[in-house]
Amino acid sequence: MGNGGIEWVVAVNLVIWTGLFIYLLRLGKKLRKLEKEP
Amino acid sequence: MKTILAWLLWLWMCLVLYGAFLYARPAMGFAAGQSSRIVFFHVPMAWVSMIAFLAAAVWSARYLLGGRRAEHDRAAAVAIQLGLLFGVLATVTGAMWARIEWGAFWNWDPRQTSITLSLLFYAAYLALRSAVEDAETRGRLSAVYALLGVVITPFLYFIVPRITFSLHPEPLVNADGKIDMDSEMRQVLFASFLGFTALFFWMHNLQCRLQALADRKSAHFYE
Repeated sequence: MGNGGIEWVVAVNLVIWTGLFIYLLRLGKKLRKLEKEP
Repeated sequence: MKTILAWLLWLWMCLVLYGAFLYARPAMGFAAGQSSRIVFFHVPMAWVSMIAFLAAAVWSARYLLGGRRAEHDRAAAVAIQLGLLFGVLATVTGAMWARIEWGAFWNWDPRQTSITLSLLFYAAYLALRSAVEDAETRGRLSAVYALLGVVITPFLYFIVPRITFSLHPEPLVNADGKIDMDSEMRQVLFASFLGFTALFFWMHNLQCRLQALADRKSAHFYE
């Protein structure tokens, strides 16, 4: 695999990791809201 | 976890990605040198699964000795669920690498076999939990089972692969007690260990809170 290939792998990984973090952050926010409900 | 800490962890994982693919050089002695980069993800996932199983044992001990509190039972169960998730991911990434290096996804290598046995052991924990209806009995039985894992997990993760012939590259800490890895690889690998461990504890916290809300809701439903 050349360097160009590796950069694509980094880009795809970056998208996956960012997606996971955004999902977890949104879940945390939703949980905080639900925990405040009586 | 505070939002700022979550973004710091994201930044840390971005650095791990940069290190894994663009900073560390491919390891020597592999049929496809670039395939060795999987070590930065595969090994930390296996590490996190072991941490999760040991953490489950700690929470189980706290459950048994600390007044049978539901949150300790919940924390142990969630740790095992996440340990299974990371263990399966480690097995899948390992199988992908085995296909490239050894020509087949599954080779009955001692490490492949021992992690599978470990995952089956903890899958049985979840089956046990779902089979017992009474919360107190379920908590007590599950806690004892998870504590038994303290004996089994280190044996399957550390001892079996070291006493039998393995196709696997040398363990991180080899038989001479040394880390035979160049410094760039070592830096990235330890950064990855740290990142994955923090990710595990964050996911654990979220899943426990989610489970607590679900328990609260079902308690209201049956009132």
